[in-house]
Parts: sequence; structure tokens; C-alpha cells
Amino acid sequence: MKAWRIILAVSGIALAAFGVFRLVTEIAPHALLALVIWLLAALVLHDAVLAPSVVGVGWLLRRRISDRARRFLQLGLILSSLVTVVALPMIFLRGSQPAVKALLLRNYGANLLVLIGTIALASLILYAVQVARDRARSSTGSAARGAGE
Amino acid sequence: MLGIAIGVLFVTGLLSHYQYEPWSWLPEPAKPVWGYRLTQGIHVATGLATIPLLLVKLWSVYPNLFRFPPIRSVKRAIERVTLAILVATALVQVITGFLNVLNWYPFPWYFPTVHRFLAYVLVGSVLLHVGVKLPDIAYGLQARVREADVLTEVPWDENPESHSNAGTLPDPPTPGISRRGMLSAVGAGVGVVVLTTVGQTVTPLERLGLLAPRQWTKGPQGVPVNRTAEQAKIMAAATSPAWTLEVVGPRPYRLTLPDLEPRAVHEARLPINCVEGWSVGADWRGLSLLDVVLQAGGTIDSRILLISVEENWGFNHSFVEGPQLSAALLATHLNGQRLDLDHGYPLRLISPNRAGVLNTKWLNRIEVLT
Repeated sequence: MKAWRIILAVSGIALAAFGVFRLVTEIAPHALLALVIWLLAALVLHDAVLAPSVVGVGWLLRRRISDRARRFLQLGLILSSLVTVVALPMIFLRGSQPAVKALLLRNYGANLLVLIGTIALASLILYAVQVARDRARSSTGSAARGAGE
Repeated sequence: MLGIAIGVLFVTGLLSHYQYEPWSWLPEPAKPVWGYRLTQGIHVATGLATIPLLLVKLWSVYPNLFRFPPIRSVKRAIERVTLAILVATALVQVITGFLNVLNWYPFPWYFPTVHRFLAYVLVGSVLLHVGVKLPDIAYGLQARVREADVLTEVPWDENPESHSNAGTLPDPPTPGISRRGMLSAVGAGVGVVVLTTVGQTVTPLERLGLLAPRQWTKGPQGVPVNRTAEQAKIMAAATSPAWTLEVVGPRPYRLTLPDLEPRAVHEARLPINCVEGWSVGADWRGLSLLDVVLQAGGTIDSRILLISVEENWGFNHSFVEGPQLSAALLATHLNGQRLDLDHGYPLRLISPNRAGVLNTKWLNRIEVLT
């Protein structure tokens, strides 16, 4: 294990250092500066904006929604937001390219709504199945108790 | 999963880089004809799938950011810095990669170079991270979920507070989505993203491609275009009736427009595949590049330079040698019609297992170099 750890760490450091070296020596200073700003911005936007908002939504849900419903709501929200992240830039850039490129021609906004609708429906069906199951279980439970009396 | 995805991205990315800068002693093979289509389709599909994977991975380890005290030792401080590099490069790689697919460049650097060098930094950071976390990874893969805490920053066997050292974990006080439910959600999210985008390269799934950037059916002659005739500013030169193809070699000669038709008898079904992750198979007809080269006094071992009428663009020329030379066509027809101007009229290169941009369009000069 220890040998593997050393091999992984050393080759990792070497590869990363090689990448940094190539960046610093081959990329123009103004572009390099922009790249550093992008890297820092990505870190800050994710850690200080995106992640806390997700945690915040989770906290709100925990306060407002019952545990059973919350599980399915979480499922639907996770799926929808993952799809939305991919769709958003395409909604924004739709129609930005010459038509012959056959690029970004679709109605991504409408398609996203279709996907979110499908995801919502699927989550709702799963939730309904869970509720029905719980009811069936509790009624057979009380029936069994009734028979024992 | 994320580690595997990044590994796949690294390998397919390097394979693509090799297309652009091959070593002379190992020319790019011509077989399989769908090689580049497959590797780059996988690269972009995996990259898109990495967006949800990465976001969820970061969410799951986010609490570790607020571990107190923030810096326990020099070792931990170094680890935190390397993790910041890992997270920042991973985010920038997937974001800029996706924007490149969408042909949007809101940054001042040249995308391919920075994407490649940043990939070295990212993969290096991942290797280092795996090296640091190896005991936890081994433990996490062996242990059962309820008995293991795999997300702590401290290796479990050095952490007295770790519940792995104190028995089974009770159910969390507010049972929301379970670990298994979370994994199903991520799997489904990745599945939906891949399924709705991969139609841009797996052509039968085109209709499912609700979120696919490219739509091959909407391109001229059933094939999308990346560099348009208008962008390339080749209108006058490419449509001139006086166009000629100059072939330079031991026995130089010229071909005019009427010379092309009787020679355009070679047919091939080849995909055109872009590094941006779209591809489509097409029926091509044209001249055999090898015939043209042989007539100029070249041989099957010659290195060929093909030059476009387009000026001032890095990819206005390309080289063919080795196995691709005998397989390549100088295409005049695409899917049964005379080549569209946007597809490279009057003459373009099309070769198997080759990056789209290296199939030079609007040719007017071919040089037999050796």
C-alpha cells in the first residue's frame, strides 16, 4: 500500500508540475492571468454560491416537508438541476451559430421543460407507489393484529 | 466513477492530440475507419456526464471544507492547497470543454492548448489525491456502507471519533434521501444527460437528443459543418470557374474543374467526426489521393501536404502519410450530390479515422514532400 501511495503521489506531482510548466512557458501572460482568474472564480462560485444554495434548499425542505415526501422531492430536484446545468448554456446560446453548422438549433428551453416534466411525473409516481405500499403494509399489519385477538 | 471518467477523458483526449501532432515514425492508422468517431464521441459524452458527477461529488464532500480547525498540520495545509487546484481545474476543464462544444469562447486563450496542459494538472492532482486517500479508498471499497464513514478527511483508523471505530451508525435523525437513493439519482442524472446528448454522434438516437448541441439532419447534404464558407472567406476563390488543383512533385501537373468528373469514381462510406463530439457517416465519391500522388511521381510512402484556398487560418492545410494515404479520397460528391460549398467545394480531403478539421476543405494545392 505504501509503495503504491508513493508511486501515485510522485507521478501525480510530476504530471501536474509538467502541466503547470507547459502552461507557464507556452501561454501568453494575459491569457495565463485570465486562466488563473477563471480557476479562482470557479472555486469561489462553486464553494461560496452554488454549494451553499444547494445546502440551503436542503435545509428548507427538511423544515417544510415530511420525510417520506422529501425523499422523492429530493430525487426530482437532484435530477432536474443536473439536467438544467447542462441545458442552461444551450438555452442562452441558442441560434448563436450559422445555420449550416447545425449547431444549437433546437428549442432547448422547451426541451428542458419536457425533461423536467417527465422527471417530476416519474418522481410523483414513485412517491404514489411508496404511499400505496405504506398504506397496504399498515392495513395488513392491523388486519394481522385483528386476527390475533 | 469520477476518477474513471477523468481517466477516460485523459486517454481519449491524448488520442485526439496525437491526430494533430503525430510522431513521424508512427503515422495515424486508417483502420478502424470509425476510430476517431468512437474515441471523440466517448470523450465528449463522458465530459458531459462528468458535469453531474463532479457537482454531486463536490456536494458530498462539501462539509469537509468547514472542518475545524481548518489547518491541523502542515501536511493538511498542503493537501488543502492541492485539493483547491484539483477542484478548480476540474471545474474549469468541464466548463470550458462544454463551451468549446457549443463554439462559445468567452476566454482569451486558445482552447486546445490550455485544455491539454490543464488536463495534465488535473490528472496529476487526481493521482496525488488518490495516493493520499488510498487507505480510505481501500477501506471504503471493502466496508459495508452503514459501518463505514468514507468521507472523513482523517483516515478512519487514525480518527477516534470515526464511527467505524465505535460500531454501526444509527439512522440519521432526519431521514431524507438515502445513500442508495442519492446514487440512483446521480446515475439517472448522468443517464438522462448522456441519452439526450449522445444523438449528435450515435445517429439513430438523434430524435432523443433533446439537449444535443448538433443535429446532423439539419446540416447541408445531411452533414453538419464546422467552418463555414463565409467564415473562411473562400467564396471567390472556391467558386471561380478558373479554379485549378496544382499538384507539386517530381512530375508536377494541374487539374481543372472538368478534369475532376471523369476521375471521381472512387466511393467510400466514411464518417466525418469532429473533436467536438459530433459525427455522422456519409457516402463520399471522389478521386483517389494515392492515384493523384502516383501521377505526380510520388509513392505510397510519400508524405503529402494538402493546402486550402483559405488564407490565414491554422488548419488551412494538413498532412497525410502512411496507411491513410491509400485510404483517403479527394471528394467531389457527398451523399450523391456535388459537394456543397460549405463542405469544401470544389474538392476536399476525406480520410478514415481522422479528425474532422484535418480533412482539409477547398483544396487547390497538393505537395508530394518526400
